Amino acid sequence: MARLETHVGPLRLRNPILSASGTFGHGLEMQHFAPPQTLGGLVSKTVTLKPRPGNPHPRIAETEAGLLNSIGLENRGIEAYLRDVLPSMANADCAVVTNIGGEKPEDFAAIAALLDSRPEVDALEVNLSCPNVQGGKLPFSTDAKLAESVIRGVRAVTTKPLFAKLSPNVTDIGEIARGCEAGGADAITAVNTLLGMSVDWRTGKPGLNTVVGGYSGSGVKPVALRCAFQCARAVKIPVIGCGGIARASDVLEFLVVGCSAVEVGTSCFSDPANLARLAAEIDALLDERGIADLASLIGSVRLPGPPVATCAPGAAPATSAGGGR
Amino acid sequence: MPAPPPDARSFRSEVVSVVPCGADAVLLTIRPEQRLPAIRASRFFMLRREDGLSPAIPRPFSIYRQHGDTIEFLIKVMGRGTSALAQCTPGMKLRTLGPLGNGWPTLSGGGAPWVMLAGGVGSAPFYMAIEQALAGMDSAPPAQRSDLVYLFGAAHKGFLYDVDAFERLGVRVHTATIDGSHGFQGNVLQLLGQLQRDGQLPERVRLLACGPERMLEAVAHFADERHLDCWLSLETLMGCGVGICNGCPIPTNPEGPRGSWGNVKCCVEGPVFKSTEILLGALH
Ligand SMILES: Cc1cc2nc3c(=O)[nH]c(=O)nc-3n(C[C@H](O)[C@H](O)[C@H](O)COP(=O)(O)OP(=O)(O)OC[C@H]3O[C@@H](n4cnc5c(N)ncnc54)[C@H](O)[C@@H]3O)c2cc1C
Ligand SMILES: Cc1cc2nc3c(=O)[nH]c(=O)nc-3n(C[C@H](O)[C@H](O)[C@H](O)COP(=O)(O)O)c2cc1C
Ligand code: FES
Repeated sequence: MARLETHVGPLRLRNPILSASGTFGHGLEMQHFAPPQTLGGLVSKTVTLKPRPGNPHPRIAETEAGLLNSIGLENRGIEAYLRDVLPSMANADCAVVTNIGGEKPEDFAAIAALLDSRPEVDALEVNLSCPNVQGGKLPFSTDAKLAESVIRGVRAVTTKPLFAKLSPNVTDIGEIARGCEAGGADAITAVNTLLGMSVDWRTGKPGLNTVVGGYSGSGVKPVALRCAFQCARAVKIPVIGCGGIARASDVLEFLVVGCSAVEVGTSCFSDPANLARLAAEIDALLDERGIADLASLIGSVRLPGPPVATCAPGAAPATSAGGGR
Repeated sequence: MPAPPPDARSFRSEVVSVVPCGADAVLLTIRPEQRLPAIRASRFFMLRREDGLSPAIPRPFSIYRQHGDTIEFLIKVMGRGTSALAQCTPGMKLRTLGPLGNGWPTLSGGGAPWVMLAGGVGSAPFYMAIEQALAGMDSAPPAQRSDLVYLFGAAHKGFLYDVDAFERLGVRVHTATIDGSHGFQGNVLQLLGQLQRDGQLPERVRLLACGPERMLEAVAHFADERHLDCWLSLETLMGCGVGICNGCPIPTNPEGPRGSWGNVKCCVEGPVFKSTEILLGALH
């Protein structure tokens, strides 16, 4: 039995497995498939200030190695969430994370202020990165200053742990992560969906009604892993990896590149009970390798050493970070 | 928030047999790890091969028949998911989620006859509907054979899957094909109109329908004009089947009982809806 406990800033999790926002309901709807006591935490679907009806059908389109979606943050708004969902979470035996979204920077702070006094909520995840609103412009997750100011606004109204959820659709995700850290985030969630599209060449019809949408699932894992790695290098706060995780080994890969926990999304659609099995599978993998504490894997990636200096006179002697040459 | 049904589980099943049916379908029989209780007709399961040959997203199928510890599906081969299932061999394991969805309303005996309109593979939820109506559902009086009228339509007779099995149930079965290769030439609604004009069916009937969207739209319109009770079993695109992806919205009728929100989730609030609750045209 390895120790699976992990910490995301001030938040202690029994294991590193969280559900990803928008892929496992709002509350305890899925408890028959994945009992909360098997999870580190449950992340709600994005909650917005006002109810949002979401985008027209078709909102999902499967592709060779992943899924496109254009749900459009359908939700009944913060009032309904506080009234109908949160009370049932009071005794949830895992961390409860509310994911919040908005069209304007003030929206985020307004929702956070309403959630701050709610004891059911253990942390807030700020969705800076939904590609299915504002025409996919992603204003808050492509501009480090704007990201920082949104997080700062939320930080000002709550003492709850704050995760900033970033978009992979940027050139330098590390810069955005640093902005969020400066704004007062306790952790970075990397990442939301990639922008993508599909089309049927025979009919000329795009798979999604919105034409372009968010791409997720196993096909995005290398991109998500790279983003999580770059965030972990860029900031001192913990990183939560997300994107294409389906198996225990995927989880461990994200930990090795520097994540303290992970969120699992699209693979829940293949089998919603998979989420509940991951912790036990991780435990078995660690036992197999004689690893007693999951924490020892975090950030243990062995990078190749700097290039060997060959001729430059006065160059410092090359050292190898990975060793073994 | 709508949740998956409390009896739904994720489990493995073993493929017992795959038998060709009609022009392009198979009858797939599986044995779940654990024996399932009796399942209401028009509930469904999500099925997926886990050997890498199925797409990542499982596909929804109505339960067709249940015998002892096995359940059977009627699967029309459409694309990647259905062809992977049609190529299963006995002994293979399938990821199975279910039972999901609500199923037909109580098909009680007495009152107006129940007319069941099936379009092609839309026949799947009707076999057990007939069995269950005859046996009596939810402590309601059982239906008589003469109260149950099954109208099975398709483009061509090759898509009238397993029609003999329906005939053996002993209820009134009529077929309609667009090309006239079997039964009435035309669609099931035209057939219904014909039977009513001939006096073989009264004006006042209770309708159940399952089939392509355009057929369901026409049925809903027919029912609306005549103020008939009508339930539709929808076969929309689904991403999860358990209410977590938000990928199966059906627009609601703003004047109907579900009008307080713009759409319902087909998987957990359906797949059976009263025709007055929803708006179908918006789906295409
Ligand atoms: C509740 C429910 C019950 C169902 N019961 C049955 C059943 O008993 N038997 C059965 O054969 N099918 C049933 N279906 C439909 C079945 O799920 C789809 O045909 C299947 O998902 C297609 O998967 P595929 O990978 O083979 O096709 P894909 O590769 O996904 O698509 C191939 C083609 O089929 C079309 N298509 C895909 N899904 C649908 C759909 N839902 N409706 C219409 N066209 C579609 C696509 O647009 C595309 O042109 C049911 C659907 C639902 C929601
Ligand atoms: C259908 C669907 C809905 C989603 N809804 C949200 C959402 O409301 N808020 C959010 O922050 N992310 C949302 N996401 C993104 C996921 O939380 C996750 O970041 C992304 O899908 C990558 O992880 P995955 O490959 O494991 O799915 C959604 C993803 C999918 C597939
Ligand atoms: S199919 Fe996922 S919510 Fe209905």
